[in-house]
Amino acid sequence: MGSETPRQVYRYALLTRVSHWLWVLAFVVLVGSGLQIFNASPNLDASDKSDPARRVLAITAPAQGVGTTTLFGHTFVTTGWLGWTGDGLGSRGAHAFGAWLTIPGYQDLAGGRRWHFFFAWIAAICWLAWLISTAVKGNLKEMILRPGDLPKLWPMQAYYLKLRKEPPPHGIYNPLQKAAYTAVGFVIAPLVVLTGLALSPGIDSIAKPLTIAFGGRQFARLWHFAGMILLLGFFAIHTFQVATQGVVNQMRSMITGWYRVQ
Amino acid sequence: MKRRLFLATAASALAGCGPVSSALNQNETLKRILAAAEPLNHRLIGTRGLAREYRDADVDRHFRVNGFATPSDQHYMDLAADNYAGYRLVVDGAVERRRAFSLPELQAMRQQVQITRHDCVEGWSAIGKWSGVSLAAVLDAVEPRADARYVVFRCMDDDGTGNLYYESLDMHQARHPQALLALSLNDAPLDPDHGAPLRLRVPTQLGYKSAKWIARIEVVGTLATIYAGGGGYWEDRGYEWYAGI
Repeated sequence: MGSETPRQVYRYALLTRVSHWLWVLAFVVLVGSGLQIFNASPNLDASDKSDPARRVLAITAPAQGVGTTTLFGHTFVTTGWLGWTGDGLGSRGAHAFGAWLTIPGYQDLAGGRRWHFFFAWIAAICWLAWLISTAVKGNLKEMILRPGDLPKLWPMQAYYLKLRKEPPPHGIYNPLQKAAYTAVGFVIAPLVVLTGLALSPGIDSIAKPLTIAFGGRQFARLWHFAGMILLLGFFAIHTFQVATQGVVNQMRSMITGWYRVQ
Repeated sequence: MKRRLFLATAASALAGCGPVSSALNQNETLKRILAAAEPLNHRLIGTRGLAREYRDADVDRHFRVNGFATPSDQHYMDLAADNYAGYRLVVDGAVERRRAFSLPELQAMRQQVQITRHDCVEGWSAIGKWSGVSLAAVLDAVEPRADARYVVFRCMDDDGTGNLYYESLDMHQARHPQALLALSLNDAPLDPDHGAPLRLRVPTQLGYKSAKWIARIEVVGTLATIYAGGGGYWEDRGYEWYAGI
């Protein structure tokens, strides 16, 4: 009888669920508004001040109707995708990222900054609230990768690749999940916040070592962008995994908290 | 299948961001809500910090021109043609002693030098060597009254629609040790593109604070009555008055 009705476990606390979805919203807005801000000066330099000699990325329109992307000195024609893109008002123009990706869609640096700074606060407050509540409840240790997990990383990957029948023994989260959550939640996301702060002249004036640690203002802008790429990578893998491993059950558990176990 | 449907939904949700946010971006109530971050940033960062000072070797010899290029109106061109001999920096408003400084008078005051980075709101930065008169020294000379709260910089460049550029600082920011009324850039008098004969330098905030072509400094009790009340040309067009971030 018991085996016929699936057992449900309460997997995610309310605060975790609320902050998870607020993060989704904040992340989407931060990426879109960040690209809007990037468009105002679509170069990334590995230096303190702007320096074309140390340019890592440049997304430009060298001629009417042509978009190019130059990465580490290699130039690619990216017309329609990068450099020369839709302006959100019905025509194309010299915009690094197109209107369909930026927030707001049309060019508006002041608007992009408003969205960005507001949702930066939302994301940071959510992260702190979640961190404190999880730490107080003692659940944090379930998520953080420990030295003892390292030997289990490959066996877990081998299980995912179907090279192994059983996953290695683990707690609530498997070693790969722990590695991903630790990297994203405790390394990459904080670095994205810090690099964002480091490129502000006001923060530089009260915390010079921070800006210097990242190589200066323009370098901080480069790290901030690179951090976004890594977070997008996590977002893609995470979404793929949710979609392929019982999407209804996974989504339900992050909405109602209840996860069904067979 | 489910998976494909899910991915399609996710992709279209992402692609919808631009158009949806464009519509939301115009909403005045939402604008005010989003702008709530500005006082938080102001409080978090404050205005006490000192901008980093650099060495001579770090200077950009061809300092990128920020904002508008040389004003084209007749009044400015006449002043420039005469090498600014007729220029007077008027400092008035809520002060005990209204003053008008000629360029030689400003040059005779104690000159302060700073090699600082200019951080443009667009995202680029450049390093310049600036020298001129400390804003605090000029304020001391006019003795702001007790009701003085802001210092407004009124400039000579017209945007073509009759609006003159302007900027403002509160009294605390105006007395910041690095707030400079610059007369020269990289050991040469300012050229017209860089704000000749006199511009502001506020290296702890974004470049739009550092107004060029200043004609008048007005000490006021409120910003509300000046243009749209935002406290600056770009502030009236949606940018933050606190430009430290």
